[in-house]
Amino acid sequence: MSKLNRRAFLASGAGAALALSANPRIVVGQTNEPIRLGVVTPLSGPQEFIGSFVKNGAEVAVDLINKAGGVRGRPLALEFRDEKANPAAATTVARELLGMGINLQLGTIASTVALAYGPLMQAENGINLTCGAGSEKINHENYSPHVFRIGDGTYRMRAQARMMAEKFPDVTSWTGIIPDHEYGRTVWAIYVDGLLEFYPKITGKQPQIVDPIIVPYGSGDYRNFITQAARTEARGIVNATYGGDAATFFQQARPFGLFNNRILMDVANEFIVANALKTQVPKHWTGTHWYYGASASPIGESFYKAYVAKTGNKMPMGWAGEAQAAVAAYAAAIAKTGSTETKAIIEALKGLSYDTVTGARTIRAEDNQAIKDLEMIQIEPDASAADVGFKVSDYVKIPGAGVIEPATPGQAMVLRKSS
Amino acid sequence: MLADLPTLLFNTLIWGMATFLVAAGLTMIFGILHVLNFSHGGFFMIGAYVAHSLANWSSAMANIWGFLLASVITAAVIGAVGLVVDRAIFRRLAHVDGAYVLVATYALLLVCNGVVKLIWGLNVVSASPPPELFDVSFLGNLVLPHYSIFVIVAGLAVFLALEWLINMTSVGRLIQAIAIDPWMARLLGINVGLIYSATVIIGFALAGLAGGLLVANQSLSPDLAGIFIIQAFGVVIVGGMGSIRGAFLASLLLGLADSFGTALLPQMPGLFFFVALAAILLIRPRGLIASGRLS
Amino acid sequence: MSRSHATRFLVILVILTAAALLLPFAANRGLVFLAGVIAINVVLGLAFNLLFSTAGLLSFGQATFSASGAYAAALLLLRAPEVPFLAVLVIAAATGAAIAFAIGFVALRRTEGVYFAVLTLAFAELVHVIIAKTSFFGRNDGLTGIQRPRIGPLDLAQGNAYYVFVILVTALLIAVLWWVTHSRLGRSFRAVRLDPMRAAFLGIDVRRRQLEAFAISGACAATAGALMGPLTSIVSPDLAHWGESTKPILFTLLGGAGHFWGPLVGAIVFSAVEYGTRSLAGASDLITGGLLLAVVLAIPGGLLGLATLGVRRLQARPAAPSEAALPLAPAASKGETL
Repeated sequence: MSKLNRRAFLASGAGAALALSANPRIVVGQTNEPIRLGVVTPLSGPQEFIGSFVKNGAEVAVDLINKAGGVRGRPLALEFRDEKANPAAATTVARELLGMGINLQLGTIASTVALAYGPLMQAENGINLTCGAGSEKINHENYSPHVFRIGDGTYRMRAQARMMAEKFPDVTSWTGIIPDHEYGRTVWAIYVDGLLEFYPKITGKQPQIVDPIIVPYGSGDYRNFITQAARTEARGIVNATYGGDAATFFQQARPFGLFNNRILMDVANEFIVANALKTQVPKHWTGTHWYYGASASPIGESFYKAYVAKTGNKMPMGWAGEAQAAVAAYAAAIAKTGSTETKAIIEALKGLSYDTVTGARTIRAEDNQAIKDLEMIQIEPDASAADVGFKVSDYVKIPGAGVIEPATPGQAMVLRKSS
Repeated sequence: MLADLPTLLFNTLIWGMATFLVAAGLTMIFGILHVLNFSHGGFFMIGAYVAHSLANWSSAMANIWGFLLASVITAAVIGAVGLVVDRAIFRRLAHVDGAYVLVATYALLLVCNGVVKLIWGLNVVSASPPPELFDVSFLGNLVLPHYSIFVIVAGLAVFLALEWLINMTSVGRLIQAIAIDPWMARLLGINVGLIYSATVIIGFALAGLAGGLLVANQSLSPDLAGIFIIQAFGVVIVGGMGSIRGAFLASLLLGLADSFGTALLPQMPGLFFFVALAAILLIRPRGLIASGRLS
Repeated sequence: MSRSHATRFLVILVILTAAALLLPFAANRGLVFLAGVIAINVVLGLAFNLLFSTAGLLSFGQATFSASGAYAAALLLLRAPEVPFLAVLVIAAATGAAIAFAIGFVALRRTEGVYFAVLTLAFAELVHVIIAKTSFFGRNDGLTGIQRPRIGPLDLAQGNAYYVFVILVTALLIAVLWWVTHSRLGRSFRAVRLDPMRAAFLGIDVRRRQLEAFAISGACAATAGALMGPLTSIVSPDLAHWGESTKPILFTLLGGAGHFWGPLVGAIVFSAVEYGTRSLAGASDLITGGLLLAVVLAIPGGLLGLATLGVRRLQARPAAPSEAALPLAPAASKGETL
């Protein structure tokens, strides 16, 4: 039965009632029942901090959509589950949600969980929209039609490299502070790829890549690595350490003046390090999933207001925006097809262009990776900024289309390497 | 990119003394009660948060004396918590298998994490050293942050104080007597229960003191307990469980292994700590100082 | 082993297996999946308790064995798909036994309680670090895309087939562990635990017995671990993290170390608590920790210990002698020599 036929069939009174009782989630618009979305995100453990933004962001996004009349007249409702950053626990709750008829899920953060969801969602006929899992395998080696990365892909590192080439054409020697973790290695490899492409293109100079400093994950003492870094001849440093590790590293690096005469590009800490170090934070650039102050779109502005009203947090971090983008993706897809069925939604999501907090984004049909604007901010210490101790002093937006890697679902990414 | 020797040694000293500060209370409680306290890292973390809150609460803490005072207050607070833990948990489990105590302290670690999230939230925070320790001195190539020197001195001071307490005072001799033979000590009319409690309180107070002294050494987040506990466990095991002197030596030795391992094999940071740990245990399964009693 | 004992065990095992097999007809898919995870955890708990309560060894590195089985199976399924799955399980068991033997060989030089525990913990953490840093093991992202295998004509990817397979294999492993516990071998383990010196005097090779117990426990844990990969489609270094080593200990003490079924009760209750906090933000640490603390403090005999106590109280009024309060007695009496 084609979609159209089925809708016509369902519209004919008795038939509709029958079909709906058999499977209540086939067609939208015939009822006022809420459409339930599952949010599986870290609500405990080391990644709870990120999960808290995903949770609030998803709630605010749903509130705004419901206030505006819902999707095809039906409100959205969220069902939260704890990812526990553990594939077995995350799989359990994803299956539970699927068993409850909630086939549309979002919020994954841990790469291992996102990678486990591919086969699961395929076998159990569900969809997951990851809100920040960093592995490049998600849209390459381990591509699954049932998993979408609706936010920044790994190509954000290429955007960050491009921005550096544009802003600092003279800083041609680069090294990295890279955590000894799959995530860190991926980030460094793609950043190098970006440097090798964009420096020659934009500045006409070949960048010099200095071996990165590999640092342990979750350490209380980075001084050996800081003294190592202080000796580097590189003028630019990209930092991939994260959260408490990054704050510790920057804090211990201060007496060594490591960042005084160098350009520091931070991968993804947004405000985490700045919030911790306040006036002691070194001047640096950082990538964000969404910078609230950019006012990139009307949705972004109303989302920000509602977010502050709900949480009191005036400096929300980018994952809140990724959660909004995930909720909005489902809303747009459901509105487009009029169905919540997995197959129809996958079809609708592929190639979907829709509006989010960061402006328009398009989901690339071949590998389910969103193409969006990449946002970078510059942070510098500011003693006059009441109790925050820092300010955002610059903002750059790089369109995703010019930096995204080619789609190669099922195959590894091919990257440029320094000789 | 091999760093120069003085820098490596200086970094070793900071690592070693910071780790020793955390491990001292752990090995002390093990030496007397034979309890491996998983929650020790949790109370170290709470200590750091308490010290941080104290510093924010009063500007009187904004100099080195205030900083030291805050550390002492923190030690007292966590020591008091130790009294409660001793009454509520250690005493009640004194006569069951050690595994139960181990699990109880593990549960307590989870509770510590929960409490930190509840009171201080999920944000990463960091504390500045007091202004007197903010600056840096240079000695040739060597960069000497004053706060790092402070941490080294503090570690040494705590080590010497514990050595004095255990070897020179009457309380220390009582503690030693009980560590060697609690049965005989009881027979001789020593109030063993009281000494047990005192040891737990001192052990916890040391965790609090470490939290206070090291508050500006690294960032504070709910992960802090996990970051130090494996390191401190390693030091306690290698040193010979229950030996303060052993823990001190092991802190320096494992710090050295970590520093040189990182310099020699920069692709595998942090691995040398475990390799050294395993190697030392293969040669000396009882640890460096294997007296089986407090020393 | 008395016949009535064995009959009772078999009846319980059959009832539990039947209940697990009927679960898909009554429960949500998430619960069915969770039941598969719990079944694996039950074996991990029982394998731990074979060491703890029968052989008197407190192992803090059980995750090494389950993870070695999981990785061995995952590697074979991904790189050598022609190896039949039952052979994969056997190889996983052998891997677990070999690694347990190697670690036991070194760690058993210190068998006293916490020393031994800490040695096993140190080796387990070393293994964890090595797995997370080696590209052969997929480093931090682990090995992904593990398919549910076929067994001859049976495709375990279909419907609940793999779940049924997991339940049957774990039931078999439980039977093996029960048999070992109650066999002559198990009795010699107990003799070693109660009094190593006397056991040695009676001609029992103490160290060899302990190594055997370690290898059997490692083999069972590895086989159970091998079932994990196809269940979740991924094996990651988290499986070898020391947090995973604490779980079998928690199951055992929660359920009651003095009872064969204790770890089973503990695994189910613990999973129920975790499942209960699955949509709770921020408080799951406090709840899990608090509950655990409460159980250890209030009912050190574990839940089954409490239940036995209750039953005895009901049977034998006036009040049973205080001896009855100690289903924990075998553990408690170990004291210093553990």
